[in-house]
Amino acid sequence: MTLLDTVLIVIGEIMIGVGALADLIAAIGMNRFPNFYLRLHAATIGTIWGSFLPLIGAALVAAGCKCLGEYRWFMSGGALVTSFVILILGPAGSHALARGTHRSGIVPVEPKVVDHLEEDESHPTSQELQEVEEGDSP
Amino acid sequence: MRYWVGLCVLILTILAISFVVAANINVLVPSTNVRTLAEIYLKYTYYPWDKYFTAMSPEACTSIVWDFRGLDTVFETMVFYLAIIGAIALARGVPLKLPKEIKGDLGLSLIVKTVTKIVPVLIIAVAGSIALHGHLTPGGGFQGGATAAVAPVLILVVFSQFYLLRRGVNKNSMLLLRSIGLTGIGITAFAAVLIGLATGHYAFVLQNQPKPLAPDISLPAFVGGQLISGSLWFFNFFEFLAVAAGFTIVFLLITLPEKLAEAREEKRVAEGGEK
Repeated sequence: MTLLDTVLIVIGEIMIGVGALADLIAAIGMNRFPNFYLRLHAATIGTIWGSFLPLIGAALVAAGCKCLGEYRWFMSGGALVTSFVILILGPAGSHALARGTHRSGIVPVEPKVVDHLEEDESHPTSQELQEVEEGDSP
Repeated sequence: MRYWVGLCVLILTILAISFVVAANINVLVPSTNVRTLAEIYLKYTYYPWDKYFTAMSPEACTSIVWDFRGLDTVFETMVFYLAIIGAIALARGVPLKLPKEIKGDLGLSLIVKTVTKIVPVLIIAVAGSIALHGHLTPGGGFQGGATAAVAPVLILVVFSQFYLLRRGVNKNSMLLLRSIGLTGIGITAFAAVLIGLATGHYAFVLQNQPKPLAPDISLPAFVGGQLISGSLWFFNFFEFLAVAAGFTIVFLLITLPEKLAEAREEKRVAEGGEK
């Protein structure tokens, strides 16, 4: 085993470890965050840091592991392609979810500093929605 | 209280698994001996030395599904297509056509559309590899077809139905593709019999490799040095076409815009039809 292989394997294992930690953090976030937009943030942490990064790490480990023979390039390439697909699909999916939710206006945007999208659109604001809900309750 | 019970169960499970793994108890560690069932599969799936009882395919699932119990699978395929025919019959007369003019933007935002331009190509490629390698690696025609049908669903949701219809993916073209697939399955099932009739030998329906009662007829296991396992490759390929097209028809029908159907109904009533 050459020095390069050892370096590849160690870097790959560190990436897989970071991915496991990020998945744990994302799971805690999914359970503890109070509303949809914040939970979506936790979910994307699980996709990018918890899936994309460990897959790159697995590709590096497979590339550095001579004991796997020629097949290590198949494993490494498969992991790289999968990580690329996840990299482009995760943000697009969360963007579509967030945009659809914001346009339909069913979830109040909280906590909020500024919401330019809401100012641009003619949909009812989350504050108006809240007032309607409060008005309904006796 | 429930919280503490759950936590205790979780910790006990983790401790038990760690104990089993650490003590190297032979519960989780598989035995090194080959079991009898595995021997049977090894002998009847890919075993060229016993040419009367092998399916010539290293993939046990495909061997079982399309060779050992091929007739069962033909009936399963029939059930699936009867369901799809039922869906098409329910939607009889529903206009699956482009409206004359389309107002406004269709589909989701530019970001999602850009990503969706890349992904269906990958999906179709993976589906093709699942189906065409079905006799070598896990997978097969149905799985490949179901995977390929995800691509039209993605386009339906992201670009709207009109995008597909404008490019010729409509009910009739998919019905044609599905019929080609089903005809192919039928021809492959009767291939051995047809060869037997032409050469004057005895052969079975759904026969793949030579059998003790029909030793002279067999479909080629290798083509140009590549293993295609006789009829299995053709079954997988035609099933792939039929399943992908069938699922696409159903998805096109269930995502039909309700306004189009309403407009057609109003037109029919206005022309003097019954309500």
